This record gives sequence, C-alpha cells and structure tokens, in this order.
Amino acid sequence: MPRPGFVLDVDRSTPPILFHHGEGFRLEKLPPGRSRVIYPAEPIEPLKNPDGAIRDALVNPIGDSEPLTALLKPGMKLTIAFDDISLPLPPMKRPDIRQRVIEAVLELAAAAGVDDVMLIAALALHRRMTEDELRHAVGDRVYDAFAPQGLLVNHDAEDPDNLLFIGETEKGEEVEINKRAAESDLIIYVNINLVSMDGGWKSTATGLASYRSLRHHHNPQTMRHSKSFMDQHKSELHSANWRMGKVLRDSGVKVFQIETTMNNNVFGTEGPMSVLQKREWEWTLKDRITVAGMKTALDRMPQRTRRSIFNSWQAPHAMTSVQAGEVEAVHKLTTENVYAQHLVQVEGQTDILTMGLPYISPYNVNSILNPILVACLGLGYFFNLYRGRPPVREGGVVIMSHPTPWEFHPVHHPSYIDFFDQVLTQTHDPVVMSEQFEKSFAEDEWYRHLYRTSYAYHGVHPFYMWYWCSHALEHVGQVIIVGGDVRAVRRLGFKPASTLQDALEMASDVVGRDATITHLHNPPILMADVS
Amino acid sequence: MRPMPITRKQATRLIKRLPVNRSVSTATRTGSRVTRMAKAIVKAPSVPAGVDLLKKEKNVGSSYDTDWARSYPARVARVLILNGVMKPLVDLLATPSIHGTDRLADLEGPAIFAANHHSHADTPLMMTAIPEPWRNRLFIGAAADYWFTNRVTSPISALVIGAIPVERTKVSRKAIDQSLELLADEWSMLIFPEGARSPDGWARPFTSGAAFLSSHSGVPVVPVFLQGTNKVLPKGRNIPRPAATTVVFGSPMYVNEGEDSRAFAARIQEAVAALGDESATDWWQARRNAASATTPSLDGPDAVSWRRSWARTSKAKGQRRSWPQV
Amino acid sequence: MKALRFERNIPLFAAANIAGRLSSGGGAKVGPLRLRNVDTPRLPGPGWVEILPRLTGICGSDLATIDGNSSRYFEPIVSFPFIPGHEIVADLSEPFEGVPAGRVVVEPVLGCVTRGIDPVCVACARGDLGNCERITFGNISAGLQSGFCCDTGGGWSTSMIAHVSQLHAVPADWTDEAAVMVEPTACAVHGALAADVAEGDTVVVLGSGALGLLTVAALRRYGRKCTIIAVAKHPHQQELAREFGADQVISSGHIARPIRRITGSLAIGDGDIVRLTGGADHVIDCVGSESSIAEALTVVRPKGRITMVGMPGHVHVDLTGLWQREITMSGAYAYGIETLPNGERRRTFDLAFELVAAADLGRLVSATYPLDRFEDAITHAANAGGRGAVRIAFDLRNEKERNRA
Repeated sequence: MPRPGFVLDVDRSTPPILFHHGEGFRLEKLPPGRSRVIYPAEPIEPLKNPDGAIRDALVNPIGDSEPLTALLKPGMKLTIAFDDISLPLPPMKRPDIRQRVIEAVLELAAAAGVDDVMLIAALALHRRMTEDELRHAVGDRVYDAFAPQGLLVNHDAEDPDNLLFIGETEKGEEVEINKRAAESDLIIYVNINLVSMDGGWKSTATGLASYRSLRHHHNPQTMRHSKSFMDQHKSELHSANWRMGKVLRDSGVKVFQIETTMNNNVFGTEGPMSVLQKREWEWTLKDRITVAGMKTALDRMPQRTRRSIFNSWQAPHAMTSVQAGEVEAVHKLTTENVYAQHLVQVEGQTDILTMGLPYISPYNVNSILNPILVACLGLGYFFNLYRGRPPVREGGVVIMSHPTPWEFHPVHHPSYIDFFDQVLTQTHDPVVMSEQFEKSFAEDEWYRHLYRTSYAYHGVHPFYMWYWCSHALEHVGQVIIVGGDVRAVRRLGFKPASTLQDALEMASDVVGRDATITHLHNPPILMADVS
Repeated sequence: MRPMPITRKQATRLIKRLPVNRSVSTATRTGSRVTRMAKAIVKAPSVPAGVDLLKKEKNVGSSYDTDWARSYPARVARVLILNGVMKPLVDLLATPSIHGTDRLADLEGPAIFAANHHSHADTPLMMTAIPEPWRNRLFIGAAADYWFTNRVTSPISALVIGAIPVERTKVSRKAIDQSLELLADEWSMLIFPEGARSPDGWARPFTSGAAFLSSHSGVPVVPVFLQGTNKVLPKGRNIPRPAATTVVFGSPMYVNEGEDSRAFAARIQEAVAALGDESATDWWQARRNAASATTPSLDGPDAVSWRRSWARTSKAKGQRRSWPQV
Repeated sequence: MKALRFERNIPLFAAANIAGRLSSGGGAKVGPLRLRNVDTPRLPGPGWVEILPRLTGICGSDLATIDGNSSRYFEPIVSFPFIPGHEIVADLSEPFEGVPAGRVVVEPVLGCVTRGIDPVCVACARGDLGNCERITFGNISAGLQSGFCCDTGGGWSTSMIAHVSQLHAVPADWTDEAAVMVEPTACAVHGALAADVAEGDTVVVLGSGALGLLTVAALRRYGRKCTIIAVAKHPHQQELAREFGADQVISSGHIARPIRRITGSLAIGDGDIVRLTGGADHVIDCVGSESSIAEALTVVRPKGRITMVGMPGHVHVDLTGLWQREITMSGAYAYGIETLPNGERRRTFDLAFELVAAADLGRLVSATYPLDRFEDAITHAANAGGRGAVRIAFDLRNEKERNRA
C-alpha cells in the first residue's frame, strides 16, 4: 500500500538527508528543531492492463464528446499530435505511453478506413526530436510506417507556409497554430501529464503554436501573475491558454484529447537507484553500501561519464490513469489524478527553502544542464510546485544545490550561450530583458535556421527560462547556490556557497539567525499544498 | 616340503588373475587397473546361451523422460549454452532483426510462442530471439521420431533445446498432459503449429495444438513471424549458410469466450500473417489490410510450386534483381 | 650617462627568445639588454641637440624586441647597439632653432630631414615620414626610429640627441604622464584614420592594451560615425574601452558569437561557430598575433577590411579566407600627416596632442620605474593587462646621472 507524502520535522536523531546535486548527490545534515523535509508520496500502483484501459477510454469518452470510433470516418483528414521529448522525465522504459496510445488510436483508425493520417510532435519552440527519440516515443512500428513518407514530423513554428492564424482572444492574444493540424477534421492529442501544468488546452494552444502566439503568455507579466503556474485556479498562464483554446474551439478546430497520468516511480523499487527514492531512516545495510559506493564512484568519474550514465537512465514510472474525450472535462479528471500522486499537505511557510537539483529538466534531455536551466529548474519548476502559498515566505531565501557548470551544449542551446554572455551581463530583470533583447533573439536568422534544421531550441527560449523564474525572483529575498561554479552563479545574479552550512550562514544575513527551513525531497515529484 | 616362495593367499590371487586362453605374456598387460575397470563397467556383459532376455523398456523416442533437463543445474547449463554458444552462432549466421518485443512488456507469466516453420534453423533462432525471462524457462514440443531417435540424440535434444517428445503420427495424450503440467508450472512453450517445415516457403495450415493448450491452460499465445530461415538451413541441407532473418513478435492472444480451438488456431494463423504483412510493408499498412480483411495470407496463392516461390520472394523488401540489367 | 643598451649578441638573443616564451618579459633578465654607463651620442650635424628624457614609455614593439620575438625583417633597419625607448617626453635646457626651452615630446621617426638628405624622398615630401625611403642612408646610421639607432640614443637613458624636426613643445600645464602618451596616441590616430571607416560601419577593435584603447578613442574622435565593438579581456580595460567610446565591449575568447549577433549575420557550423557568413565591416587588429589575425579573418565580412595596427611579426596564418571572401588586409605604421574625413590635412602629432588633452590620457600611465629596476618594469609592462595596468614608463627624472651638472 503506497504511503502518502508527509512532512518530517528534523530532530537530533534525523539522519543526513539526501540532496540531489546534478549528476550525483550529497548527504546534508539539516539543523534540528527548525527544519522540516517534505517527502513525496510513494508511487501509486500503475494500471494492470494499460492497453485495455486505453482502449476503454477511447470508446468511453469524458465530457461532451462522441467515442473515438464514431469520430473516425473513411476519407477524413486526421492529425495525431503528441507531447515532445520534454515529457516524461526521465524518459520511460519502452513501450512509452505515447506508443501505446498512438497504436491503439491507429488500430481504430485502420478499422475505420482512415488513410490521411499525419503525426506531429507538438514541441512549440523546443528543439526537434531526433530519430532515436521519436522511435522511443512512438515505437518502431509507427515510426517505420510513417516517418519515411514524411507523415511523422516535428512541428515547425517558423515555417510560414505551415502556420494558420485562427483569431484573437478577447484580450487581443493572437492564436496561430500548425496549419495541417488546424485544417484537419480531427486532432487527436496524446498527452502525458507529468505535472499539473501540462495538458488541457495548453497541449494544442501552446504545443502547436508559433512565437506570435506564445509571446502573449510566455512573458514576465503572465508568469508573475501565476502563483503558481502549477495551480490552474491561480495561473494566468493557464487562463491565457484556456482563452486561446476557446478561440480554437469556436473556430471549428476539433480536438479529441487523450490525457494520461503517471506515478512518480522515477528510480524504481529495486536495483541500485531505488535507494534515491527511499526515506533515509529506512535504508538497509545494502542501501547504505550502495549509497557510499555510488557516491565514491561518481565523485571519481569524469563529468562526461557521469553525464552519460545518468542520461541513459530510463525510469520505470508507469501509467496510473488514462482519460479521453472533451478537452476541459478530461483535464479536470486528469488534474485530480495528478494531485492524487503529487500533493503533500504542508502547514505554513518557512524562512528558507532548500532543494537538491537533479541532473535533468524538461529542456536538457540527452543534453547539458547549463546555468540558465539550473535557475529555471529550481526557481521555475521546483519553486512553483505548490498550491496555496509558496513553502517559503516572501522575502525568504532559496538555497539550491547543483554544480552549475559553465557549460553549454552548442547544438541544443546556441541561443543560451549568447543570452548568458550578452544579456545576463546587462540585466537580470525579466521585464528589462523582454523589452530590450527578446525581439532580436526571437527574430535572429541564424537561431531560426538552427531551430528549423538542426536540433536547437528557438532563439527566444532562454528568455522563457528566465521568465519562468519571474515569480520566484519577485517573491524571495536572496538565492544561493551550493557547490556551483562561482563565476556562473554570480553571472546569474545569485550568491555562491561551497557547503550548505555556509549557505545557511549567508542566509542569516537576510532571514536572521534562527531561520526555519523547508527542504523539498524532490525528485520523485511532489507538490506542496501549503495552508 | 620345501617352503613356498609365496604365501598361499598370494598364490591364490595370482592364479585367479591368470588370463585364460591368452597367449600374451604377463609382462605386457594392456592398460592400467583403472582403465580396465572402466572398460568392464561400460561393456555390456555377454549373454549366456539358453536364457530369456528381459524385455528392455524402450528408453528413447516418445517415452524419454526429460524431467532432468528442467532441473536447476541443467537449466544453468542450457542458459550457458544458449548465450555462450548458440546466440553468437545465430547472430553470425542468421543476423536476425528482432521486432515487436515491446509487445511483451505487460506479459506476466508464461506464454506459448507459436511461429511459422521453415527450417531447423527456426528453433535456435527462436530460442535466442525470445526475450528474457521467457527464454530461460522454455520447453519445446519436438517430433519424437526425429529428435529422440537414440540414446545420444535424446539427452542432447532435452538439454540443449529443452525439448519434450511429441508423437507426430498419432495423437498422444502424454505430450498434451506433460505440456499442460509444465505450463501450469510457469514454463513457456515454443511450438510450430504447422507441425512440420514448409516445403516451399509458404505456410502449411496451422494445426490447433497451440490453440488447444492455450485455451486449456489460460496461458496466452504469442504469435511470431519468422522469415529468412529457409535460406540459412534449407530443407534437405545440413550445413548452414549465412542469410538475414527477421523475427516479429505479436501481442499476446487469449481464447475468446466460447471459441473452439480450431477457430482460435485460425485466428493465430491470421495474426502471424498480419505480422508477416507488417514485416513486408509496414505496421500501418498491415493494420489497414487486417481491417479490410486483405492481409496477404501465409499459405500463398493456389499455384504450382515455382509460381508460389516467385510470389513469395517478390514480397520481401530489398529484393535483388535476379536478371542482369541491360 | 646611464642607459639601457641593447647589444648585438646572438647567444643572448636566443636565450631571450627562450625566456620570452616561458614568461612574457623574461627576456629582460637573460637577454642582451644591459644597464650601462655610456657616453652621450655625438651630434652628427647641424639641427641636432641634446635632450634629457624625463619619462619614456615601454611599448609593445619594445617588448617584442626584448623577448627576441621581433622579426628578422628589422635587422637591416636597426643599428646595434641601440638604446630603446621611443615614447619620450624630455627636457630641452636651452631654446633651439625655434623650439622654446622646456619640455618636448619626440617624434621618433628618422626621415630624410633628420638624416640631412636633400632633396627629400617622395614619401617625406608628402609628409608620410613613416614611409621614408632613405632610412638606412644619410649622416646617421640605419634606424627606423630614435630608439632603434645607435647614433641617436634612445629614451631609456638619461641623455640622448634629437633633430629639431622631431621636437614638439609640451604646454606648460601638462603633466609628464600626459606628454609621454602623445607618441602612442599618434600611432593609434594614424591607425584609426588609415582604416578609413565608412559612416555606419561596424568596426571591431581587437586588443585592449594601450594601443587598442587609444585606437578606440581616436576612432571615436576623428573617424566617421561608426559602431565600435571593443574586445577586452580585463575589467579595467572594459571600463576604459566603454569610456573612450566603444558602443559594445565583449570579452575576449569566443568573439564570433557576439559579433554574429550584433551584425545579424548567419554562421557556418551547427551551433559551434566555425566562421561567420557575414560579419563586421572592419576589424582593426591592435594585437598582431597569429590568433588575432585568424580571429579577424573569422569575423570580418566578405569584402571587408582588416587594418593591422599592432606589429605582427613572423606569423603562420591560413589566408584562404582572405582570398575566398575578398578581404583587404592593410598595415598602419607610425604617423606623419593625416587627411581627416572632412578633407583637412593635419600632422598626426597635433591630433594626438588634442586627443590626449580631451580624453585625459595621462592617467593611462599606470606605473613608472627607475632604470635600475628595468627587469621589473619590463615584466610589469609585459603583463600589464592582467595586473590592471595599461602603460608602464621609465622615470628618468630622479636619476643621479641626469641631474649632474
């Protein structure tokens, strides 16, 4: 019976807590009597018969929608859009959820005599997926059947011939999406809801959109009014996407949404990595030996070896629910299922929030976590995994643990290198950079070329990473990074510390000597429900 | 009396050891004591005249007891042979491309792997292509008259390929019972429902053995499509030649409510045909063909042998022209 | 008089070369530069007068010579043994042929007039003294400048001689530091004007030592209106570059990326830039090393121009890019008479005087040393950037030998 998440009050007999530290980890002792650790829930039991559940969901839709069998007709134009490489994290073992769902959908399509089918990876301004990554997501059978004929493609948000302007929302937000998708008789969206931000209208309105659309909600103002962007009831990002979804729906774009949720079994319950998911006082002798051995081995390895080991990890997380049908009704149910795995009840805020950042974020799968992504992972994603109020008080301190290397992947993140050298040296204020620099990066020809033909994130993407931190940057008084490259941390505008103890000492300048501390024991993913 | 140079005991022993009717001197005895003991053990004693011979139980053929081959040490040995000897050989000679193993991801427990049959190379290919954990707990029903002929081939068949003897000529309750017992004990089964190797590359009609076993044990049937093995070890040849092979696994199939074995067998045959279609064209095409009931069947056009061969090879992808280009 | 003398000694030259490779400025300790007591040079003819140096700068070309790195090109146009030092502010004790007594700045180039050659050569007639065709002839030995000639002496001493045509009077209210910056400023002004940038051009200035910074200042003041991108490694250099008028300051290392973004050009390479397809209109190289020339070729646009203001020496460079992209590469040496963009013709040194006053360039003299501590002085000059300095000079004002009657 999986145990729910809970908050541990640290006392003298609490063992050192495991902090993720990029491709590695540290064991840190938190000061007793004034620290608490939020532990995630244990992984929920996955579905026993995922393929059966999928087939079931397709013919028993939620909300105002016909079953998929009724929507598929011979001679129709069908587009199947699916989530890109940024989900799930880490990549899951084969067969991927998308493969299962797409094969089930295509079986029905074949039975209905549909011939005109196109599959699109809905990656918005993310990088294109490589052949291997696509094969992993949709499976070899679907890849070999569609890709050679050019019927399995990456969405190209900079292709003027393949974008259709649909209309504007009541707030003047332009809605422009992939033309093939917009002109289809039906879009089937295959979604993986890793966190509560995903899914719903965001799937099509963001995933298949262009810069012209995205700039209306991917900006500092929207992010500052999303407290947090994981909580749809308080998220301006969510509202904007819903407004755009309404425009899509009203213009006749028909979407059959298939959403899935997963448990948070990231490291497995057996094998050497499982110890990273266990509560520290429940480590057996074998676990302790594993931890010591792994730490020694990892510390001795060169960075490249460490990175390739971690990047090759495929998580055993598995599907816990699948629901299909009308977008908003489906998403309501999905959100409940996501919360069932992630939410942990937390009382009140503390002065300091600590977090150990792992090696992976949505934007560096098979790549390098550069300093900008470190900031986004910590102050964007981890900070915003809350409902109600942030676990740290306003004006408090956030302490993140990550090596923050001054390293950038030149193929995946070329615009990030320029952003780091030329924008962050001028300003750290998201509003200033959006006014002075965003346009030139978004319209730069070379970045556009690399986005369309190479495997690079769009020129404007580093700005979005920084905007993701807007709420946190406004809310907290100081950000400290433990164990990071000093120059890189300073360039980000944060303070570098070599140990957690030093960081707590530095934080005392801002929050006083006897500050209270919350530590997020994440990953596996948790979401703090702060009262 | 003069005292004897040896004791009485020694003398008796000497006499007993004296060879009878041998002209060879004692100085040149062949072999050591151990070798002679070994020879005595191995050589069957000669039968004296006038005695009735005990009717010896035939210990080979369909009555060969293969239980020992499923004991732990035997399984370890088989795993070692499989991975250490068979797999490298298969990879070298058959260069298999294996597809569809992800369809087995949700399968817990044993399965009955039912494949089409071209040549003897099918068995080692299947045994090395079936993924773990089923590979290590696998038995195969093999023709008793071919694989269990004598006391040498029987243990080899049992150990190396994990075979159990199955009568080809008459229906044997024994093989069925043994199979059901093993399936219940979490052993997976490899079976070629055609019963024999295809003579011309097209499939023979699938018999209902696999369907019967599945519906009576609850173990699902995994259809498997094999291609190319007839080039590796064609019927009639004994030396293998390198050729490319393909193995495509299908999704596990269960018997439907109220379905009889013959209908299930036909369904399994259809599934293998669809896998063949998938391999020849692509999965999407195969699904559409299956939906419109236009899957090219495995047992070929009703045509004379050469036309069937011709039609079969033209389906294969990457077919090389066999006439010169002018 | 006391002087640092550079003597002809091949083994010591080689030793200096090796030492120079190990550490910049290391040639000072083991090389043929020696502190000596020598006689003041004899006046070779009319028009020559003795002057007593007050401050003399250490220039990049001096450092190259001391580390044994200068090209063999110079061998016929310098005469051993010579006393280095060509950035000189000195005392003229008595008025001489129209030059008032007081401080003077020396224009070191030894053209026809100083060599007593009449009529002067074509170049000298034009005012391009740096191009003089008679630099190994006349009544003084071969030597392209004072500071490379055995007959004139040089600034790193307590006494030298100069021709009246070389002397420029220093305004009384000027500091010595400001005066000693005039000669290097003149080099920069000449380089900036020789580049002849068009209006609206994007100009990249490589190198932010003294020469690079002065070039930025000269370009901003005298060149046509353009966008100046200065490449500066150290923070004090970056600040000064910005102050002198650079529009953008980028740190050295991978300059292709920021220049690509500023010029809006595309690049060759899949994320890792090999070279730009477009680029800056103009690159002024104030460093003169293999890597700076290669960098310049990477970031200049096709049909663009590279102006070498820094002395390159014997370098190994792949010039395929020069050919394929139709790039023009030209040199800029010394000074003479400049034609400003508005057509006016002025002496370089006059423009330099103006610029030194306008931008208060005297503060670029970061430290001074007596002749005795010449090894420290050379080392400091060679590592100026890393040590937060721009220009290092020898201070001769307190030398005993000088003030002896």
